[in-house]
Amino acid sequence: MKKLILILIYTIFWRNFLKIFIGLKYYNRNVLKKKKQFILIANHNSHIDTMAIMSSIPSRYIHRVHPIAAADFFGGSKFKEKLMRYMVNATLIPRKRAESKEDVDPIQVMSNLIEKGRSIIVYPEGSRGVPGVMTDFKKGIGYLINKHPHVDVVPVYLDGIHKTLPKGKNLILPYNCKIIFGDSIQFDSFEVDNIVKKSKDEFNKLIKNRS
Amino acid sequence: MNKIINSIDLNAEIQWVIAIILSILVIATTTFWIWNKFKPSKLVNEMILRTRSWWGMCFIFLFAATVNPIITYIGLAFLSFFTLREVYTLLDLRDSDRTTLLLCYFSIPIQYYFAYQGWYTMFLIFIPVFMFIIIPFFLVMAGDTKDIIRSMCILPTSLMLGIFGISHLALLVSFPEMNNDNISGKALLLFLIFITEANDIMQYVFGKLFGKHKILPKVSPNKTWEGFIGGVLSTTAIGYFMGFLTPLSSIELILISFCIAIFGFMGDAIISAVKRDFGVKDMGNTIPGHGGFLDRIDSLSTTSSPFFHLIYFLVIV
Repeated sequence: MKKLILILIYTIFWRNFLKIFIGLKYYNRNVLKKKKQFILIANHNSHIDTMAIMSSIPSRYIHRVHPIAAADFFGGSKFKEKLMRYMVNATLIPRKRAESKEDVDPIQVMSNLIEKGRSIIVYPEGSRGVPGVMTDFKKGIGYLINKHPHVDVVPVYLDGIHKTLPKGKNLILPYNCKIIFGDSIQFDSFEVDNIVKKSKDEFNKLIKNRS
Repeated sequence: MNKIINSIDLNAEIQWVIAIILSILVIATTTFWIWNKFKPSKLVNEMILRTRSWWGMCFIFLFAATVNPIITYIGLAFLSFFTLREVYTLLDLRDSDRTTLLLCYFSIPIQYYFAYQGWYTMFLIFIPVFMFIIIPFFLVMAGDTKDIIRSMCILPTSLMLGIFGISHLALLVSFPEMNNDNISGKALLLFLIFITEANDIMQYVFGKLFGKHKILPKVSPNKTWEGFIGGVLSTTAIGYFMGFLTPLSSIELILISFCIAIFGFMGDAIISAVKRDFGVKDMGNTIPGHGGFLDRIDSLSTTSSPFFHLIYFLVIV
């Protein structure tokens, strides 16, 4: 049932809407087809980012892919949480690391999902930030990949999507934009700092090779 | 299925044009294929890519133009939409212009509705009169006066380029006085597009073959006097021989083809200058070998309204 809703929303509605009206172009989307489990890391400037990524995931296992969202922004009320769970398939995490035992540890939530065989979508920048500018990655992505070195990490570069719905606006406008999938990252060592640096480098490569 | 076939009503002239277009495509494809076998070069590769895109564009166009008038209007409206989107992506507009941009997009269905109904006066004045007043006022309402003059000039002009010119193609099909016993809007539409694109190709070919003296050295290094003159002359000749699509006399045909050639060159030059200002080579990468939508329809957006009014003046008045 949940799968059907997700397919209806993303594979049918959002994919066509984004393609025809917004002018989104998918590049190298086939990298996802062969993979069973992956961690997608993407740059984040707009709410449309999640829709664009979800719409490019093959409908066969769309219900097993969870975008990770901040609980303080998207949670709050019961209704919002339900909406996020059923319409976006999102998993909510707190932004801060656990300080006492009662707190939920965000890294632990994500790593539980991966242990269950699910895939996740993470925005390592932490927030949408300034339109069109990529900031440094947070260290959390390093801890997560460090725990699960065998899962494929796929970088996704979203080019120009911030123009269609910038932060603080609520009007979606058509602009030609691109979503570019990279090949999965080959890490040479699984130290936290190295992972963060390497994935950032991989993004810069994607940005250089776009066009 | 039978219904669809019956609804495609093609008179003999239109069938002739379709045959001519297809044979040109076949000849071009085989020529470049053989050329590529014997002497491969970058130019031939680009030509092959372009010819392949021409196949796609011709099929989409012939489908849209001949099957059903409704499809013609919707297809042209989408063409306007894609063109506007391409321009606005390249333009660096202010954040406060966003509401006005939505208004610009909404004027597409309104303009094409007037075309569909054949409301001649409303169709003509909607953009140059009403939108030229409403758009600046919307910009004023957004309250951001910094750099407002730039937006006030760009947005109405983009409507003229992207919607006003191209929607005349739709008006040709619907205009009541152009669709009677001795004149057919569909045939005129085919004539206009055939001549305009032939003009583009001829100017390119003559420029490549004989081009020496640059006509606009600072704007576009590819445009030469030889290409311009050769293009205008050959377009006039082609227009004269394609005259069976129109009810015009020989003198009128030559006059109209000559005007189309000149206006087509102007549109081409205008978009070249715009691209130069943007600092890009092509407007987009939607059509392989050609660039974006506006790269292909640049001349069409300036030839269609002069053509419509010349026909109106010569045939109806």
